[in-house]
Amino acid sequence: MMKTHSQGGSAPPVTGITASWVNLAIIVVIGILSLVSLYFGFKSFIEDQITAYTYLLIGALGFAAIGYMLFRGGRPSAQSKMDIPRAEIITTLECPKCNLRRVRDFKQGDYVFKNDEPCTRCDGVMIISRVNRKKEPDKEKKQGVIE
Amino acid sequence: MTVLFAQILQQETDLNMIIQTLFSFAFIVYLFYAQRLQSLQMLNQIEATLRRLKKIRDEARGISINAINEVGKPGVDISAKVDRIMEFISIPLTEMDPYGIVDKLDHYLKVNHDIFEAEVKAIAPNAAEVERQNLENLVGLTFELNYIYKAMRHNYLMGKKTMNIYIILQVHMILPLIMQLVESLTVGIQATREGIPIGDSVGPIVAGRLMKDYPKRDISKEMVSAEVPFDGRTLIVMKAKGPGGTVGTPDEAIMTALNEKEGKVKIIIMIDAAGKMEGEPVGAISEGVGAAIGGTGKEKFKIEEITVKYKVPIHAIAIKQGMEHTMAPLVEELAEGAEKAGESVKRIIMDYSQPGDIVIVAGIGNTIGVGQ
Repeated sequence: MMKTHSQGGSAPPVTGITASWVNLAIIVVIGILSLVSLYFGFKSFIEDQITAYTYLLIGALGFAAIGYMLFRGGRPSAQSKMDIPRAEIITTLECPKCNLRRVRDFKQGDYVFKNDEPCTRCDGVMIISRVNRKKEPDKEKKQGVIE
Repeated sequence: MTVLFAQILQQETDLNMIIQTLFSFAFIVYLFYAQRLQSLQMLNQIEATLRRLKKIRDEARGISINAINEVGKPGVDISAKVDRIMEFISIPLTEMDPYGIVDKLDHYLKVNHDIFEAEVKAIAPNAAEVERQNLENLVGLTFELNYIYKAMRHNYLMGKKTMNIYIILQVHMILPLIMQLVESLTVGIQATREGIPIGDSVGPIVAGRLMKDYPKRDISKEMVSAEVPFDGRTLIVMKAKGPGGTVGTPDEAIMTALNEKEGKVKIIIMIDAAGKMEGEPVGAISEGVGAAIGGTGKEKFKIEEITVKYKVPIHAIAIKQGMEHTMAPLVEELAEGAEKAGESVKRIIMDYSQPGDIVIVAGIGNTIGVGQ
């Protein structure tokens, strides 16, 4: 790929304090406060259970908030895996004379209804009946759709 | 709750004082800067998406240039010309006086198409017609990706400049929809590059299967038709001329066929890909009435106008698919859906026409990778 050519646009400029730095600072502060709160919670558990539960609740909420922030603000590197995907394509050929069916990998120049190659079983010519993406069984998920 | 907090505050240890001060400080900071912090967090997410979008756009541009060099053999560096096409503008029509807007739109779209075609022809002079049509699709996808990137960047920078949460929020809210659209375009890169049928090709596949053994003729620009005998009826089957990537001019083809037969057509059957709702299976078939055609609406308008003139009913067959399938290489479910739609066409013909009748069958959609 010719990726060295000049580009039409530019990446968004990042100047001054970046949002990711602020996020990190918030996470650290909340984390420290939550840890201290949890410490007090465990320390005062035997003496005063109501106070202990309150501290533990505050600590747990702090960690929940951190989890929420991390979950929402996904890092860019985690998102950009394969940007332009490539699918595996297969071509199905059928002989109109003897109904022989054959599946092979797609070759550039294949198109649906093209008279492609001689039939291996009879003297007919095989026609491309389908060009489609190969099914990926691993990626199928049951969504639990209400029907 | 109040009692609990009162109990905590009553304990007066040093460490307790520190933690209470820290909490109070955090509360005060959050009170004044909550909106700003939220804006920064949203900007961060928009920026991450924008970076990904830029990478996709650049990759698509590279693939386009590579394909043009390989197929069109221009012999010179065409990257500057591709960049110029990517910045192509289409100034929308004024709608102050809507009278005659459809004809204006028709003319405007034709000019747009012709100029785009000429531009691609100029940078790929040695490409065959089919290859040139596929290149037009590929460059068109790159153009769209570039436009989305630029629009997103504009809104991001506006939000960053003003730090107005409402501007940032609007961009942030539509972010998943934008990325869904971008992903639906990126999956089309491979299909347009290699001439593979896409989800939108299901209509032409149905029509092509009916007409493949019969003589064809060009009925309008980039459209072919064939007269197919079927159980005593005559079918006028039409589709865009494949296997290059084009949608043809189905409105003009239907108008020509109706005018040639002086309106003596029993029914028109239109087969097209249609958006599915979440939860609906891919490749499901829905039957109904009306002009099954998307686009700008001018084709639909013209088809409706001529069918009203001749009082010809239109039957619609929709092959359901998600946004992610429309431009992507055809999935097996849609290939099966096209076969089922073929059965629906035959059943509608048997149910709504008599021997001796003329029926128009139009396969609507992009015919990339589909011959006839």
